[in-house]
Amino acid sequence: MSSMSPANALRDALPPPGSPRFWRALDELAADPAGRGLLAAAWPSLAELEPALDRRGFLRLLGASLAFAGLAACSGPPPEHIVPQVGRNGRTVPHSARYATALATGDDVVGVVVTLRDGRPVKVDGNPRHPAALGGSDACMQAAVLDLWDPARSDALRRDGTPSSWAAFESEAAALRRQLGERGEGLRILSGTVVSPTLARQRDALLARYPAARWHVHDPARGRPADVWPDLSKARTIVTLDADPLGGFPGHVRHARDFAAMRGDMNAMPRLYAIEPSPSLTGRNADHAWPVAAGALPAIAAGLAAALGVHADVPNLDALARERIAMIADDLRTNAGASLVLAGPSQPPAVHDLVRAMNAVLGNEGTTVRNAPGHDTARPFGELLEDMRAGHVGTLVLLETNPVYTAPGFADAMRTVPRTVHLGRYRDETAEAAQWHLPALHPFETWSDLRTPDGVASIVQPVLAPLADARSAHDVLDLLTGAMTDDPVKRVRTTWPELDDDAWTTALRDGVVSRTPDAAGAAMAASGAEPGRDFLAAVAAPTGADALELVFRPDEYLWDGRHAGNAWLQELPRPVTSLTWGNAAWISPALAGQRHLRDGDMVRLAVGERHVEAPVLVVPGQADNSITVTFGYGRRCGIADGLGYDAYALRESDDTWHVPGVELTPLNRRATLACTQTHHDMGRRDIVRAGTPEHPPQGGGKTPVSLYPEAPAGEYRWGMSIDLNACIGCNACTIACQAENNIPVVGKDEVARGRRMHWIRVDRYHEGTATEPRTYHQPVPCMHCEHAPCEVVCPVEATVHDSEGLNLQVYNRCVGTRFCSNNCPYKVRRFNFLQYADLASESLKAMRNPEVTVRYRGVMEKCTYCVQRIERAHIDADREGRRIHTDEVTTACQDACPTRAIVFGDLGDTASEVAVAHRSPRRYVLLEELNTRPRTAYLGALRNPNPAWRDA
Amino acid sequence: MAQVFHPRSGLYAKLAMLAFAMLLAAAIFAWRSVTAEPESESEAVEQPVPFSHQHHVGEVGIDCRYCHAGVETDAFAGIPPVSTCMTCHSQLFTDQPPLAPLVESWRTGVPLRWNRVYDLPGFVYFDHSIHVAKGVGCVSCHGRVDRMPLMRRVAPLSMKWCLDCHRHPERFVRPREEAFAMDDREPGDDDALGMHLVDAYRIDRRRLTDCSVCHR
Repeated sequence: MSSMSPANALRDALPPPGSPRFWRALDELAADPAGRGLLAAAWPSLAELEPALDRRGFLRLLGASLAFAGLAACSGPPPEHIVPQVGRNGRTVPHSARYATALATGDDVVGVVVTLRDGRPVKVDGNPRHPAALGGSDACMQAAVLDLWDPARSDALRRDGTPSSWAAFESEAAALRRQLGERGEGLRILSGTVVSPTLARQRDALLARYPAARWHVHDPARGRPADVWPDLSKARTIVTLDADPLGGFPGHVRHARDFAAMRGDMNAMPRLYAIEPSPSLTGRNADHAWPVAAGALPAIAAGLAAALGVHADVPNLDALARERIAMIADDLRTNAGASLVLAGPSQPPAVHDLVRAMNAVLGNEGTTVRNAPGHDTARPFGELLEDMRAGHVGTLVLLETNPVYTAPGFADAMRTVPRTVHLGRYRDETAEAAQWHLPALHPFETWSDLRTPDGVASIVQPVLAPLADARSAHDVLDLLTGAMTDDPVKRVRTTWPELDDDAWTTALRDGVVSRTPDAAGAAMAASGAEPGRDFLAAVAAPTGADALELVFRPDEYLWDGRHAGNAWLQELPRPVTSLTWGNAAWISPALAGQRHLRDGDMVRLAVGERHVEAPVLVVPGQADNSITVTFGYGRRCGIADGLGYDAYALRESDDTWHVPGVELTPLNRRATLACTQTHHDMGRRDIVRAGTPEHPPQGGGKTPVSLYPEAPAGEYRWGMSIDLNACIGCNACTIACQAENNIPVVGKDEVARGRRMHWIRVDRYHEGTATEPRTYHQPVPCMHCEHAPCEVVCPVEATVHDSEGLNLQVYNRCVGTRFCSNNCPYKVRRFNFLQYADLASESLKAMRNPEVTVRYRGVMEKCTYCVQRIERAHIDADREGRRIHTDEVTTACQDACPTRAIVFGDLGDTASEVAVAHRSPRRYVLLEELNTRPRTAYLGALRNPNPAWRDA
Repeated sequence: MAQVFHPRSGLYAKLAMLAFAMLLAAAIFAWRSVTAEPESESEAVEQPVPFSHQHHVGEVGIDCRYCHAGVETDAFAGIPPVSTCMTCHSQLFTDQPPLAPLVESWRTGVPLRWNRVYDLPGFVYFDHSIHVAKGVGCVSCHGRVDRMPLMRRVAPLSMKWCLDCHRHPERFVRPREEAFAMDDREPGDDDALGMHLVDAYRIDRRRLTDCSVCHR
């Protein structure tokens, strides 16, 4: 068995006795100490940089930069202008404003509030009144403001690649209407999931107008449309079968809030079992993550159903699986009526039927799970491909969808269509292939409406005039039917006849159309899933134990690739892998050991004729023989051009979610993965504290005495608390901070050098074995230490304390020695090694927060506790001659957090939320032994594992 | 042994040194004059419309807040929209050539571009509203605008100048009611009143010199 030793080392290595239980990277577990070299360095890739510059080269550059700096200083500051408004018709733009609207990704709809400064949208947050958001955010919502101001947005109509005009397209549309005549033969429309009631109404009108036309839906990363709506606020035992209610599921922002609230109650902690082939955000937060191959999952579901008394043939399962199923079934029965079984959108209908039956048997229907009216299903996408190949399609209209990239073979089929029209925000692959490319409006520029799968509707209202000469899908549909209107508001209001003027205004103000909940949605409609039916016939036979299978997943942030142009999302470490600017094939530690593969080794993955070359990434918690590939990369346009590999190339059709029998061939090449998992390492010290309700995590000890002077006592003592029990590791805080504080992106190469600029990072720690680890997430902003190690080493006093306990970074004093970063034990300081902030793009200037300095090259920066918000509150309160109200100041990360894990406020005010949190017995501070006295404290995590559970 | 240097060498050397010193001085002078701020202190700034504060404030007696409407609520005091000018100038002096750009702006909707007189660096976040609320008069920074036919800057806007007041607010604050008054009060005229006002307006001296008050 000596050849298996690396595998065993990774699989079985447990932390040696006496060392901390938590580990971050698999290298730490490997017995080979050589593998740890890079982890020791604060900047993991400094070693690679050394030979870049010799002494002479350095002197040459030094001389040149001095000379150029002298030249550059030879002009005074440019004269500035003040351009006041004209104010005709009494109209002036308010200095700041907030509007409620909504955003959609696939069939996930969330209500948002857009903040404008001088008429420019600069920040997006969750709408507190919208039930799917409750004020929380996810990363894509926060990044929507960059989509709006993206300099790469398409701003001109194109016909066969040459600039054209809307007038030209309008005459083309008129000709098309004449040609379509009464029947509309050969007209095909392709869109994403229709989540807008107005668009649905227009679709019905179009299909009525042209009876021979067809409307197809293509949402390659969505899977099965959501037809149930879980309610995690009542579930005590949750079993997810490849479902991700905290991550990719519609309504996940709300589900995360409900789940965290449940987990925060020590007396009624829920227990979450996640059964899945590759870890999802839900699996990473589970009490028990059970990796099971996708091919074997239906058998597990059948086994669980049988154990619950649903009549299903029990397949052959091994002893461990039977034992675990019995355990889970016991838990479910104990909490019957307050338990929840949830199947993911990538699961086959048979599993969904089993799950429906299980929830019925457990009496969960109507309490923890209810029917979602869902969105209309349209004709399948495959049918369109066949029709195109058969020459039945005369005109193809593509509404904000990119099938040339997301559907292999579509480009060839599209060439046979005489007339193709593409509407989209980017000149993407489909735009290049289509005859007509029409620029689309951003949701912040148009009137529309959106509805969540469980029936909550919002009106989408424009918050600024269009930045490009673009139109919406509604406009294009009107052009097709000939029902053009100059009044886009009226078009939406026609969909909502029941809203009178007052109700309409209220709906716009609140961001939610108030309506009594659908009775059909509240009660679980009688389904065809009465217990007693035999399901096993529909369940696929499990694949052979040793055969490798391929699992398809959307990228957590880029989704099907639609957000690939968003640099903030590109650079945001993915929750499960910590990967940025690229994708990888996820393999299990066992497989890595067997095939001697390391992170970044290139392999060839082949399924029949289809194949791609991809770098591998060893993911703890991945099912042994499953290889996961993620969509969204391998793009051929925009900033994502050339990043990663195209997983769609391996996929046969939209509903293929796993394929048995994939061949993996190592290629003896390596690729750079910009993975941040080992960056900003604090060593294997007492970083994360976790426990169970019976053995809660240990709180902090007494603060030792110090020779340094006590912190100055200002009127307020700002502090923060981060509840590790609530944090699910979604990274919404990171990107909210990026938007609020004008944080630049640095690109793949710089991330690989450990230079990403995020002021709040989310570290991931694993506990237990590499095969079935339990995972903890820890957001780390600046600790604002009262005895800050960074301050004493700064030669120019660029980092100093203020009287209220903030550790300040004064950019105009900083000379870039980086001593402070070196001396920071928490590794939260970020240095502008290069000119990262884009000072050239005009549209990005409009996007930035005017309250925060845009930093130049050579300057250190870090979390400021959103000092601009504190100052704003100070000024507002001082002007009125009052104290700042309790909890009046919130930080951007706090506002964005979907689970309310982050709390900020005045520690001196005993009634403030943060002071209450700091009194928690779970409170501890990071690296307490250094006596830095951080103002940011953590609350230890709690998990509720089943005591009888046996590791594999 | 013959002399190595000619007797006149000493003179040449001295002349060369003098020339070098003069060149250096000239270079520094040239550098200063080139890199100086576009509008130096006490120098009137050209504007698209030769707006006279002397006329509008001193002679007509319009309150500061009539035009600079944001001064009590916003960071930016505000340059009035053209519509504010037009409340009078749609009737008065409409045909005067200096007002032509204003009328043109109103007609076409293209805003005027005023030249900035008080230009703080980008990393300084100054807020008018809080200064007015704490009893810092307009005159303290902007001078006697009621005597300025064209606007000019009367303060250096250096950090030291800011700190003079932030360190000794009692020497500069005045009763709130007099914040908009145009008078020639000298700093420190009445320290007892200043001390009283600092207390009454809850000016937190501990914070006033914190970096975070002005820099973010």
